Amino acid sequence: MIRHACLELLAGKMTDQLVVTSQSGQRIEWAQISRHEGNLLLGMMGCAIGVATGLALALPQRKVIALDSDGSVLLSLFNLATLGNLRPKNLVVYIFDNGVYSGSRISYPTATAGNTDLAAMARAAGISNACTITEITEFESKGIGALTSNELGFFVCKVDESLLHREISRPNTDLAENKYTFVRYLERTEGKIFPLVGRG
Amino acid sequence: MKEELAQRLVRGLKDAGVDFVSYLPETRLSQIVPLIRDDPAVELIPAASEQEAVTIAVGATLGGKQGAVYMENTGVYVSSYSLLVTGKQLGVPILLVIGYLGGVPDQRNSFLYATIGKHTVPVLEGLGIEYQIIEDGQKLENKIRDAVRAANAQRAPYALLFAGEFSE
Repeated sequence: MIRHACLELLAGKMTDQLVVTSQSGQRIEWAQISRHEGNLLLGMMGCAIGVATGLALALPQRKVIALDSDGSVLLSLFNLATLGNLRPKNLVVYIFDNGVYSGSRISYPTATAGNTDLAAMARAAGISNACTITEITEFESKGIGALTSNELGFFVCKVDESLLHREISRPNTDLAENKYTFVRYLERTEGKIFPLVGRG
Repeated sequence: MKEELAQRLVRGLKDAGVDFVSYLPETRLSQIVPLIRDDPAVELIPAASEQEAVTIAVGATLGGKQGAVYMENTGVYVSSYSLLVTGKQLGVPILLVIGYLGGVPDQRNSFLYATIGKHTVPVLEGLGIEYQIIEDGQKLENKIRDAVRAANAQRAPYALLFAGEFSE
């Protein structure tokens, strides 16, 4: 399964969902595929699920999507226990698990290339709707299908290592510009002024 | 900490607009947890790590809440990465309510905590996070309100370190 193909399928379903990505290939690919104002392209690993969880709790009427990687989730395994107990119904997490630290440029294997099963860990942490997806048809039925369900979804998508993200242009919006675009979009669609922005 | 101080601290947070608190409990300020939990005006979210608590508060703040994180000062070390990359780099105002163990004004200081306390302020300064050390209830509500206003104005985390009477 190729990550870019999964993201293209996901992009076709975007309406008013909010999408938080961690730093790595899916951030670059998602930024190329989707120009949605509800994209928050975080520039770091290990933070996307936490930020997405906070958004989901603050905006329970909005569907929030986290796009993360195996290396990033391994940095923040505490998220599994918290999600397993909070179970925000409006959050869907996609982990694109290629089994390598691709950004290292030496394709050094992550723990998921060995004995570690993130979906099993998530289920043991209390996330009942957690599973591993290996085929694009399964991604479409189970993964995309979760966007219309009222339950926390956690999908470990086993993908081939792809170097496509190195061939496409990186996003040209910096973190601050992305943040303000994102918050302005939320203000507009939620119909209120957020404390973060305030008045000058 | 006297119950009256705990109540004033929580009321001060609410009066300053704080309506979302992620946290890991600690010893010095733990009386505020049940007070916040019983208050429907503030959402209280337990986290498994201070690093996570920071990212959750950042997400909630981006989503329109006035977010705060309650932690022990050991959590400053644990969460320094997320404070830097989501708080400072992304520029998201969150209030840090910190039990300041091991500092000179900590009334329960001992060899267990002194090293932790000694490095807390230098780490905050290294991260570029402004802070105040609060040792008593004098103008407590004003100090909390000022801290939230400063965080919002600077689009950055702001830390309140509680010691002195708060650590008794």
